[in-house]
Formats: sequence, C-alpha cells, structure tokens
Amino acid sequence: MSFDPKSASYLDSIEVVEVQRGPKPGGVGGAYRAFGETLRGLKTTMARLIEGPMTIEYPEEKTPVYPRFRGRHKLHKFEDTGLEKCVGCSLCAAACPADCIRVVAAENIPGDRVSAGERYAAVYEINLSRCIFCGYCEIACPFDAITMGHDYEMADYDRRDLIFTKEMLLAEPVERTPLKSEGE
Amino acid sequence: MSPAGREVTITIDGREVPAVEGEMLHDAARKGDVEIPYFCYEPKLGDPVGACRMCLVEIEGIPKLQTSCSTPVREGMVVHTRTEQVKEAQNSVVEFLLVNHPLDCPVCDKGGECPLQDISYGWGPGKSRVIDEKRHFEKPIELSPLVAIDRERCILCYRCVRFSQEVSEDAQLQLIERGDRTYVGTFDDRPYVAPFQGNITDICPVGALTNYTYRFRARPWDIEHAGSVCTICPSQCNVSFTVRDEKVKRVISRDNHEVDDGWLCDRGRYGFEMFDAPERVREPQLKGGAVSWEQALEAVAEGLRRAGGKVAAIAGDASNEEGFLLQRILRDALGSPHIDSRPSRGPKADVLRRLAEPNVSAKVRDIDEADAILVLGTDPLHSSPILDLRVRKAIRRNGAKLVVATERPTALDGGAEAIARYAPGQAAHFVGELASAIGGSDNVATPVAETLRDAGKVVVIWGERIAREDGAAEALLDVAAATNMSTTDGAGLLEIPDTTNARGLREAGCLPDAGPGLSDTTAGKSTEEIREALISGELTTLVLFGADPLRDFPDTPAWEEALTAADFVLTFSMHDNATTAKSDVVLPLETHAEKDGTVTHPDGRLQRVRPSASRPENVVPNILVLSELATKLGLDTGIDSQPTAFQALTNAVTLYNGIEDEQIGGRGLRWQDREGATSARTGTEQPGPGGPPEGGSPDTQRDAPISMVQPDPTPRGVASADPPSGGPSTAANGDLLLGTYRDLWAGPVTELNPPLKFLTPQQRVEISRTDAERLDLKSGDKVRVNGIEAEAHVKERVPAGVVFMAEGVSDGNANALLNGGPVQVKIEKLDEATA
Repeated sequence: MSFDPKSASYLDSIEVVEVQRGPKPGGVGGAYRAFGETLRGLKTTMARLIEGPMTIEYPEEKTPVYPRFRGRHKLHKFEDTGLEKCVGCSLCAAACPADCIRVVAAENIPGDRVSAGERYAAVYEINLSRCIFCGYCEIACPFDAITMGHDYEMADYDRRDLIFTKEMLLAEPVERTPLKSEGE
Repeated sequence: MSPAGREVTITIDGREVPAVEGEMLHDAARKGDVEIPYFCYEPKLGDPVGACRMCLVEIEGIPKLQTSCSTPVREGMVVHTRTEQVKEAQNSVVEFLLVNHPLDCPVCDKGGECPLQDISYGWGPGKSRVIDEKRHFEKPIELSPLVAIDRERCILCYRCVRFSQEVSEDAQLQLIERGDRTYVGTFDDRPYVAPFQGNITDICPVGALTNYTYRFRARPWDIEHAGSVCTICPSQCNVSFTVRDEKVKRVISRDNHEVDDGWLCDRGRYGFEMFDAPERVREPQLKGGAVSWEQALEAVAEGLRRAGGKVAAIAGDASNEEGFLLQRILRDALGSPHIDSRPSRGPKADVLRRLAEPNVSAKVRDIDEADAILVLGTDPLHSSPILDLRVRKAIRRNGAKLVVATERPTALDGGAEAIARYAPGQAAHFVGELASAIGGSDNVATPVAETLRDAGKVVVIWGERIAREDGAAEALLDVAAATNMSTTDGAGLLEIPDTTNARGLREAGCLPDAGPGLSDTTAGKSTEEIREALISGELTTLVLFGADPLRDFPDTPAWEEALTAADFVLTFSMHDNATTAKSDVVLPLETHAEKDGTVTHPDGRLQRVRPSASRPENVVPNILVLSELATKLGLDTGIDSQPTAFQALTNAVTLYNGIEDEQIGGRGLRWQDREGATSARTGTEQPGPGGPPEGGSPDTQRDAPISMVQPDPTPRGVASADPPSGGPSTAANGDLLLGTYRDLWAGPVTELNPPLKFLTPQQRVEISRTDAERLDLKSGDKVRVNGIEAEAHVKERVPAGVVFMAEGVSDGNANALLNGGPVQVKIEKLDEATA
C-alpha cells in the first residue's frame, strides 16, 4: 500500500465528502449576517462596558499571588532561640538545577552559636539572575530553613546586585506583593 | 589468597563468573560485576573479619547465609545475592545499624560520600520500626589533633582498629567497652598520634572519623577530584586533590598498588595548607623587593652573563623537565659543567650507572614478595614513610625476613630478624664487610649476613646518605652480586634518596659528571665542591632551584659563608626561608598541586604531576620561566609548554626514549619495564661477587661478627641486636660520635601547615644509657652540644659512644655540626639556672 498522494490508487481510495456551504451573499441571509451577528457581538461588549476598565496599573497596583507562589527565597531563624535554621548542609545547592546556590559551611563555636547544630552556613549566596524559581531548594532542605517567598520584584541595574547573600535572605522581606485571600 | 590458585567457575545469580580458587567470594563477585554491599571488607587491611554482616549471600548447600567477604571460592559454587532470604537479611542489617546511627547527615561531613547512606538507600528497608531513643555519646571529640571522632556514628566495622593494629602497627586504636556502648578509642583517652593516622578517615565507611582540616569545608558536589602525585618526599604517593574554588581542600589517596598501596602519610595528607601560607613566595623578588617578571628575568640574565661561566647550579625539589632545562641552561647557555642535585657527596657517575641497571633495581611491589629485606642506612618511616608500611606488610603477610642495618635505631627494629648497628661514618666499611660475609663461606657470618645469604629474593632498601661515604655504593653493588640480584626476579636494590625527585634529576642530567640519561660529559663540581669554590671565589654565581642549603645541606655555616661570598645568587623557592633571605633574586616555585611535569620514583617509575589548583596570580609555570631565561641567554630550547618540555626530555634522556605521555597515564610507567628499555650502562662488567671494596676491613677483624664493626678512630660504634651491648665504649676524652638523621616532621611541612604545627620536632640529643649515666644526664636535661642547645633524651636502643641529633629542625639544626667527616661532639650539661 502506497501513500504517495499523487498515485492513482491513493486518490481512488479517498472518500470524497461534499462541503455544506452557507447561503450566498445578498437577500435576507446576507442582511442578517451584516447586522444581526455584529449586534450579537456588540451585546457582549456593551455588557462589559459597565464593569469599568480591567487594566491593572502596575506597579502602583499589584496582582495578588497565590500562597504557594514561588518568589524570592527566604532563610529562616528559629523564633524562640533566634538561631538560624540552616546548618549549611549544601543539599539545596545539590538540588539546584540552575547551579545558582553557593554554600560554604563552618563550625559553630560554643558560646557564639549561629545555628543549632555543629555546622552552619558561613556563606550562603543565591544568584537570582540564574535562579529559575523551581523550588527544588525548598523541597531539598531538611530543616525548612529555606522557603520560597512571594516577592517577584527583583529587577536591578547591576547583575552583581542580584547575588543575594545570607544576610539579605535572612532579613525580613519587604512585603511588596499582596497575597490572594482565602477563596479568591 | 594463593596467587597460583586454580581457575574455577562459579555461578552468581544464575550467571557464570570466572574466579580463582581460594579468593574471597566478594572479590570474585566484584570482578564478575555483581554488587554485594559491604562495610568492613577491605583487602588492604588484611584478612577479612566479617564484622558488619552486610555482605551476606545465599550459597546452595549451606543452610545459613554466609558472609561473602570471608567465604573462599570453590569450584561449582552456586551463589544467590538477590533472593528473599538475602534481601531480608540485608534489610535487617541496615535496620540494626540505623538503630543507633544518628540521622544527622545534613551536618555530617561524610554526607554525600557515605557508604552507609548509599547502602541504606540501595539495600535498606526504607523505614525504621525503632521508636526508642538512640545511643548518645559526646559529639565530636578529638581522637587526635588531626582527626575528630563522633562515636555515635560509628558502626563498629573494625576498619580503623585493624588499620592501627595490622597496617601501621602502632596498636593504639582499640574498641573499648562492650555491646552498644562500644566505642573506638585509645588507652586512657590519650591522643592517637601516629604518622599514618589520616588513613583511618579514608577507610571509615561512616562519618565517625573525619579530618579537622576538611571539617565542613565542602560537599562532594561542590568539589572536583584532581589526580596528581605528592612530591613532599621521595615516596611520590599517588594522591587525589579535593579542589573547591580552585583551592586544595583535602588530599586523599589514589590507590596505586605499584607505589603506595592506597595509603598516605600524614605529611602528604595534611601538608597542603602551606600552598597558601603567608611565607609563600608569590612574585619575583629582587633584593627583597617585589618586581615584575620582566625586571626579574632581566636582572637574572644580567647576573648570569656577568658570571662569565663561573656559575653553578643545584637542583632540589624540581620536576624532570625543570631539571633538564636547568642543566641545559647551565651547560649549553652558560658553558658551566657545575651542576648537582644532591645535598652532599654521592657516588661517581659510573657507579650510578651500575646502580641504575634494571636487573639490580627493585620495584616497590617487589617488597611484597621478597624473602628477605635489608633496610640499610635509612629509616623508611622518616625518609619514605609509605615504604615503612610496605615492609611491615611484607613481614606480616608474606613472612619476609627483615634485616635492619643502620646507625640509629629505626621504627622497623621490632619486626627485624637481625639488627646491626654501625657507627656513623662507617657505612661503607660495614657494607663492604657485609658483602664479603654474604659472599664468603665462613661460618662466622653474622645473623644479618646469614639471613641474606639464605634468602632467595633479597630487596635492599638503602638510604642515599650511605653513599656519601666513598666506596659505599660500590660495596652495595657487591652485596647485590653476592645475593645474586641480577639473576633473581623480584630482587634488587631500592634507593631512598634524600630529595623528592632525586632519581629523575640525576637521569635528567643534574649531575656534575653525567649528562641527560647518565651519559658521559665534562666533569664539573659537585655540591660540596661548589660550596668550596664559592668561598674561594673560583665560582661567583649560584643558582638554587628548590634547594635550601641553609636547612637541608650538611655544614650550614660553610653554606652561609658560600652564599655570602657569592656575587649573585638566584633562588627558585616555594617559600621564604633563610636561603631566600640571602639571595639576590628569588623566583616563585609552583607547588605540586600547581605544577605540570613528570617526576621519577626511586624505582624508575615516571609519574605525572598534574596542575590541580590555581596558582597565585604572579606565579608562572617554572618551565616557561626557565625557557624564557634560556632564550634571554641566547639558547633556543624550543620549549614553550609541558608537552614540548617532556618531548625534549625523552629525546635527550636515552632511558626515557620514546616514552609517551599517554603511557605514563595515571599510574606511571617504569622505564625499565618497557620493551627494549635501554640500559644506562654499556659495556661495563657485572661486579664479581664478594670483592671487598677499598677501605675494607683489616684481616684481623675478619673473624669478628660484622655487627661489631669497630669504627675508626675513636669511639666504638656499637653493637648487635637488642638489648644493646653496653660497656664502656667512649673516647678517652669523653667525646661522643655524632650521628644525624632527618626527622619525618622536620622541615617546612610542619612549620608552614597550621594543622601539623604541633608535630614540629624540637632538637633532642639521643644518648645511650651508658653515656647518660657517665655524664649524669637524664631525659629532659638541657645540654649543649658543640654550641647547640637541646634536650637530652636517654634512649635504650642507642648504641653507647654515639649521640643522634635531627637535621633540618628550625632550632638547633644538626646540619650545622656536620663537616663531611665523622664529627666528635662534647656534651655539656647545662644547669637548670643557666638553661
């Protein structure tokens, strides 16, 4: 069996279907098409007219994000002790598909603890210009020390400023982005 | 495991796997690509113990599961590794191990490269049914200043204990307590201090033993492994640098059975922080001030040209290519034959050629199979630590008979069949006696000679320093002839040189009387003659490449004088030291983590040192510096990279002719092992057996046992095996003979590496009990020895009439006392008040 469209046997094998066509222009049918259909479309337009404009005036106005929106990362501290949750295990860096996290760990000095365990992150950097906001770091973290926040406004004038250090990630983020409320 | 075992076929999981009868089932499975999980099995540690129970397999005909690591293979064995029964056992073992193993993997340094993680993931049940509290110990405590132990994490596999008991034989590590309270520790919780302790961190299958130097430094996914060769000592162990952010963070073994057997000494393992020491020379220096490379090379070229041929060079820590280029510059560009690579005197070129004969040279692996091993004039623990483990292994596993003949008591004495002590300066005499005692048929031969005479395969591990004495190397060749080395496979001489790449530099032509490939050439001055010529003004200019005469060479005061007298001194150095302070131009050297080049192991193995870490900004590859310098001096070497340098080297050195970089690869290549390897010597006859060399013993002493050699002139060097024969044996004026040795830890490696600093040796005067009593000394007393103040240390095994002091220590270097001949020292006791 050949599927060459030009071959006679192929053409013979095709069932020819007659196309159903609408009325020809002119007459009653033509008049309906010219006005009736247009009015039907205008009805929708008119109905939305009273709702007012839908445009969101970003950045004065912002769309609320869902609670599980993956925005800029946050590092966390224990609320009671104030110690960092991160122990510098580097699992986030291992999970990161964009290779944008750099962790250099160090050992806690008793009396001047940074984290709860023996180990803490002396350097914790995320290069946000490379981050693809996949959230794998959050999933990999065994201590819930890193989570994805809601902030998506990170544009800057210099790429170097997009490398967020541990202090920047630990700092209470400016809540610039409204959160969608329940049921919204 | 019998090497001559019969080939058999066994069935593992329905697949036929070839095996050798008697080998362990685990090994056969691994060769047949069947993975069986295990924790404690490690053939390097000796016989299996079956402690961890992880490698259980089902063998048809045996009702219970068997540990594959300790079950020898038998013809027709049918083994199953994946049945329900095996799986249940594996699950249970993992579950049991995790009953007490803390799940602090995120904090643990082993995380990511942990066999327990991998095996739990691959063979474990996935969850634990245990809800009880886990066992708790105090979190990491110091097992030693270098190794942290976290006893909670220990799974009691015995590996570290077996290493301590059966490999390094320091017997310090023990399992203490019983049941789940068991932990690894030392007697009385003393720190575990031994020269090979770092290896236990390599073999620990969990994170119980970790390095302080690598503590929390990196994760396996943060790092790169860069294979290279450690050139801190002549052992040239194969290492793998753990590199993060282009800096070396850790050194681990690369397991080359032909070189290091997979172990490393602590000097190589922890000696990497000196790469970044503040003392590192980071840019060219002209009269102490930093200058640009152009200015520096211009000054060097000017200084060398002005010398007008009155220039000499000494190579120390250099690769073959660097040594080759250096001797070309000296011989071809400056027209001076005065180049050497030895700290002191050495044998003449024709003797070196005979020593380099492939049929009298042993390779490292020959030690394993030797019938008798003679350790002559060296303590491997101090001069080539990894060979110390090798010799111990040969005795323990193969029943080799060890004979030790040295000046100073060695670490290997305990396992020796026979021990001989000769007085400092009497090595040549002793070896000559030994050769005739082995060759002769008289029945009065000493135990040393008898052991060697009766053995089939004899490997002689000898220290380069005995060859400082005239006739010693020739006598050694007589020993080789007397023990039929040239006709016995697996027998031979193995030199432990004083410097890292001594053999490579000699073969590259850094010798006063031999060019590349030990070829004939115009004779120049040797190291000591260079020193004298500099003092007398016969030579005016000196080039030091990686050599530090003010620390490492005998007679440092004379060297000080020579460096002061020289008009121009160019020093290539890795670190600032006393020598660089007296140099006109100092150029930075690369470390062995930065260098690209080849080195030659004392057994003739060419190995490649590969650049692994980044070099400081202003440090330039040394071969480029040398070839640039050659160009400035009007010599076009055609060398502009490592490959071209290597090509030039192999073309010029007949021994290396035709060796390709690919042949060296990661494991190295012994030039003697190549098809049609050229011999260094042509037409010289084999030495006849037994002929005593010049300076041989007078006939009156022929009958005396050779271990009782009487040194000439004054004090009697002593003495036979332990217990040392006491007795009055001191010179009439009470002076003692000085013997020196290079301590394992003496040198920049301990001084510039913060983790090793605690090991920096202090000068100690080792004195026999007899002499100590006569001088009313006890251990710890302050004494003055010919101007050097040190602490007395009464040592049982030191022969009477001799004291031993360490070379190369920063304070009270014994090299300052040496002057080429036997040295008599006067020991004065210092009062507590004056001390």
